[in-house]
Amino acid sequence: MGIFDMLLFHSTIQSVTPILLAALAGLICERAGIFTIAQEGLMLAGAFAAVAGSWFCGGAWAGVLIAIATSVVLSGILAGGGVLFLGDTIVIGIGINLLADGLSIFLLRQLFDIQGVFEDPKLDGLDALRIPVIADIPGIGGVISGQTWITYLSWLLVAAVSIFLFRTTWGLRLRGVGEQGEAAETLGVSVRRYRAAAILVSGALCGLAGAQLSLGAVTLFSEGMSAGRGWIAVVAVMLGRANPLGVLGASVLFGLADAVGLRMQGLGLPNQLTDAAPYVITLIALILAVRRHRLA
Amino acid sequence: MRGIVKRFPGVLANDGIDLAVRTGEIHALMGENGAGKTTLMSILYGLHQPDAGEILMRGEKVRFTSPIDAIAHGLGMVHQSFKLFNTLTVWENVVFRAEPQRRGFIDKPVARARVRELSDRFGLQVDPDAVVGRLPVGVRQRIEILKALYRDARILVLDEPTAVLTPQECRGLFAVMRNLASDKRTILFVTHKLREVIEVTDRITVLRDGRVASRLVTRETNPEQITRAMTGRNVFFTARRGKPQLDKPLLEVTDLTVGEGPKPVVNGVSLRVHAGEIVGVAGVAGNGQSELVEAIVGLRDHSQGSIEIAGHDVGGKPLRDRRQAGIAYIPEDRAITGTALAATATDNLSLGFHRDPPLSRGVFLDLEAMRIRARGLIERFTIKIPNEMTAVGTLSGGNLQKVVAARELSHQAAVIIAEQPTRGLDVGATEFIHQAMVAQRDAGRAVLLISSELSEIMSLADRILVMYEGRIVADMPADQADEAKLGLLMAGAQGHG
Amino acid sequence: MADLDQPLPDAKRRRWRAAILWSPVPISIVVAIVIGAAIMQITDNDSVEVYTEILRGAFVGPNLVYTVAWAVPLTGMTMAAALPLRGGMVNLGGDGQLVMGGLVATMVALDLPLPGTARLIVAVVAAMLAAGLYAAIAAWGQVRWHVPMLISTLLLNYPAKGFASYMVRFPMRDPTNGNPETHMVAPDARLPQLIDGSLSSSLILMIVAVGLIILFDRRTVPGFELRLRGLNPRFAGYGGIHLDRQAVLTMFAGGAMAGLVGASIVLGDQFRFMDGALVTPNYTWTGLMAALLANGEPVGAVAAALFFSALQIGGFGMERATSIPRELTSVLQAIIILLLATRAGLKRHLRLG
Repeated sequence: MGIFDMLLFHSTIQSVTPILLAALAGLICERAGIFTIAQEGLMLAGAFAAVAGSWFCGGAWAGVLIAIATSVVLSGILAGGGVLFLGDTIVIGIGINLLADGLSIFLLRQLFDIQGVFEDPKLDGLDALRIPVIADIPGIGGVISGQTWITYLSWLLVAAVSIFLFRTTWGLRLRGVGEQGEAAETLGVSVRRYRAAAILVSGALCGLAGAQLSLGAVTLFSEGMSAGRGWIAVVAVMLGRANPLGVLGASVLFGLADAVGLRMQGLGLPNQLTDAAPYVITLIALILAVRRHRLA
Repeated sequence: MRGIVKRFPGVLANDGIDLAVRTGEIHALMGENGAGKTTLMSILYGLHQPDAGEILMRGEKVRFTSPIDAIAHGLGMVHQSFKLFNTLTVWENVVFRAEPQRRGFIDKPVARARVRELSDRFGLQVDPDAVVGRLPVGVRQRIEILKALYRDARILVLDEPTAVLTPQECRGLFAVMRNLASDKRTILFVTHKLREVIEVTDRITVLRDGRVASRLVTRETNPEQITRAMTGRNVFFTARRGKPQLDKPLLEVTDLTVGEGPKPVVNGVSLRVHAGEIVGVAGVAGNGQSELVEAIVGLRDHSQGSIEIAGHDVGGKPLRDRRQAGIAYIPEDRAITGTALAATATDNLSLGFHRDPPLSRGVFLDLEAMRIRARGLIERFTIKIPNEMTAVGTLSGGNLQKVVAARELSHQAAVIIAEQPTRGLDVGATEFIHQAMVAQRDAGRAVLLISSELSEIMSLADRILVMYEGRIVADMPADQADEAKLGLLMAGAQGHG
Repeated sequence: MADLDQPLPDAKRRRWRAAILWSPVPISIVVAIVIGAAIMQITDNDSVEVYTEILRGAFVGPNLVYTVAWAVPLTGMTMAAALPLRGGMVNLGGDGQLVMGGLVATMVALDLPLPGTARLIVAVVAAMLAAGLYAAIAAWGQVRWHVPMLISTLLLNYPAKGFASYMVRFPMRDPTNGNPETHMVAPDARLPQLIDGSLSSSLILMIVAVGLIILFDRRTVPGFELRLRGLNPRFAGYGGIHLDRQAVLTMFAGGAMAGLVGASIVLGDQFRFMDGALVTPNYTWTGLMAALLANGEPVGAVAAALFFSALQIGGFGMERATSIPRELTSVLQAIIILLLATRAGLKRHLRLG
């Protein structure tokens, strides 16, 4: 059995989704001129809220909606503190990450009376969708079909974000705000409003990413389960030069690294080493990228 | 505009200015830096509100609370520093926030066609699909004009538009201006360059010290009359002190080049500053002066040439070594480079001295010595500050510049480089800085003064260089220079000095 | 005289306003406490009781010793973040540096053929060197390749943790033990205990280290240069400071502090390297928050670290007494930081206009 087979690609796609969504979130902020590192925490909050929502409000759908709402509210801290009050977005990002971490563990114990991992057969997760025609294609069929709707949505979102940024008036204005706020302001575009909106939208995307993490790939919540994916997403935005397709490419690269790591573990390598693989690859990719092009 | 008055703290920038411009004419607004041109235009464009006076357009009283208002009333402004999105294309820049739409999406074909049509109609020669950041300065300026025209500006204000252009680009701009005027659009041309005014305008309003000094019809006037109206009396005290004794050169720059390609920013510059001499470098901003200075002090790498300070070759050495060899440097932007605003006066005054006695022994600082020294400098340079432990961010521009000057001049360095040392300062602070520089010269130091303020250079320098497009195009003793001659050289006319 | 000094009402108001704007830390703490009380009301708890239990848990009886013992590594990690932060650099790599230090200290203490005390000293020094070098990699990457340190420090945590975890589970594992742990360090290579079983002489090491850092910050030439860099790096460079060299050295020093913490936990408290034991208490991130709270100024950072120690140890007491999860205290810490960051921005905002 080789390392590369269809199962590998299936799990790659699964690993890609949360990174891709969080990276799109970062991309939108970057285009609006905001450097944010809050994705990790927003995603974690989303993951927890999705499980809590699914458990208490009867179903995965409610879970996803509550995940989105939670992450949007948390990202409101960044919008308020970073855009309206001009606080340091990096410090606020660190604060949000730590808040999400503490709050999710706190509430896990308060609501579920559990430490570590919450898992229950009755917890409603997202179904894998079988896409009628594609599922029957031998080979690829099994890879592309059988993902959650959030995964399919994330692919659509790559196109949607592209179209939004490059074909719509709001997208043009958002890019203008990020490129040269002062110039946008003299033409009557409110920099603050666009930036705040961008942050809230990116909060929603991180909420989706979190829901995919806890209700899609698996059906459980474990403490700190975003596990650095938000940071990988930050790098994916840099590597993809804030272009939707580039960001997709970078996310796939990292998803593949993740999946290969898991597979190597199956082949007998200790998982302590393979777990670090995606981060090492991220770091190497970053070094190679900045050597060619200087990133800010 | 009638009776416009605008006060800023400590300055009366506009003191009852009347300005009347007719439809379809090219009208020059002239005056030296600080005469009130920029303030007046900011009021017209809605950036500032006048303290008194009113604005009339086609006989109707208008009031602009923001540039957006002004744009809606058919006013367009091309700023000195462009307000463009560099990573976006030309058409995106032009239609920004006034995009032609189809069902929520930008109608790109229509947008491009409109931009192209406007560009062709006025001979602007701009490709709608080019990315702005890759275009030369002259083209970017035409994009700013396009932006205004796209919003159907009837009155166009061009603020020092030729300051950044080559002579060829200037001629292109003048042709565009004439096209616009013949289309019944009005152009307000803000400048201090004589030649251009004579070449292209119909009428002239000259400002001086916040008042209208003269109203002239271009065809009936001459350069001398305009110059007299602009300068009036000499604002600066005369500081010259006989002939300087030309000792050994303390700063010697040979064939210095910064940047690559056929047109580097600094292109083979050689200059010498002797002990007891102030050499002034005149030139329109952006002709390589900043880069030249940064290369000399070591903030920027040069690609070719040598730099010697008091006989030591310092090219390629780090900034600290050059400072030790004897450079003091008053940078252009005192709040960004020259000081740390959140730090105390003591800290700001100590940087650069903190490694040596008496401020430190070994690795340990002597805090008391730092404070004593700071107190001494504050007194000597009459810096208005509560005490030496106050953060300098609270100081006025003049006092902040005194902090920079106090620190740099107390280095006792052989060479002093001062870049726009009095920009934005009031008369008192300006005079103080000027006297300090003359004192340095008299103490046998070499002073290199970079200024875009001609009158400053003329009143201080013993020798004047003119920099144009990265080269030194003229080198003359101060007594052979006059404003008209220097103005011509700065605008790119061939030198003969 | 006193009467003449009475400020006018208007001036008084302005002074109040200034006080609020200029001392944001106490106010952030007060607001966070209020928000915490609101959380407790929502989750049906008596906030007065909870706060009383936190205070009792932190200060009463033997709890005070626990607070001090907890403060030792936390203060160290605060310094690991504060040193770079003083120069405007953010070190998110504390976990990796801490683990590196702990691992190297264990290796040396277990295997180096030297008499006990010498082995101890070499172990501590080696831990500081290893962790310092690990941190300096990130600075070097930024200076040399322009890889942003904010990202690289964080990413470097994972390989360090993975490597240490692997070492403990396989090559260095004590096979007689069911848990992933190394052998015990010989008693003569351990740090002497001040109070047996609860407080080691790492307290003294830490007091010395902190004292040196405060001295460095206030009285030395490189400390002055680092502070000015933090206030305006452009100004520092213009004044002749070698920014690149300074970045690498500062990160080295920060990492070395983390290494010292790693060594002192392993050699003073646990006497072996246990997988995950160094990062689980979250000293790194709490320390970063304490450093941010003081903006890198060492005395303030130590105060913040002591405050957070009391809060966290108090959290354990609260958990025992009221069954409220102690993570409430982490939430309070994060809220304090968020309030502070926002308020700092607000201040800038008001001053600008």
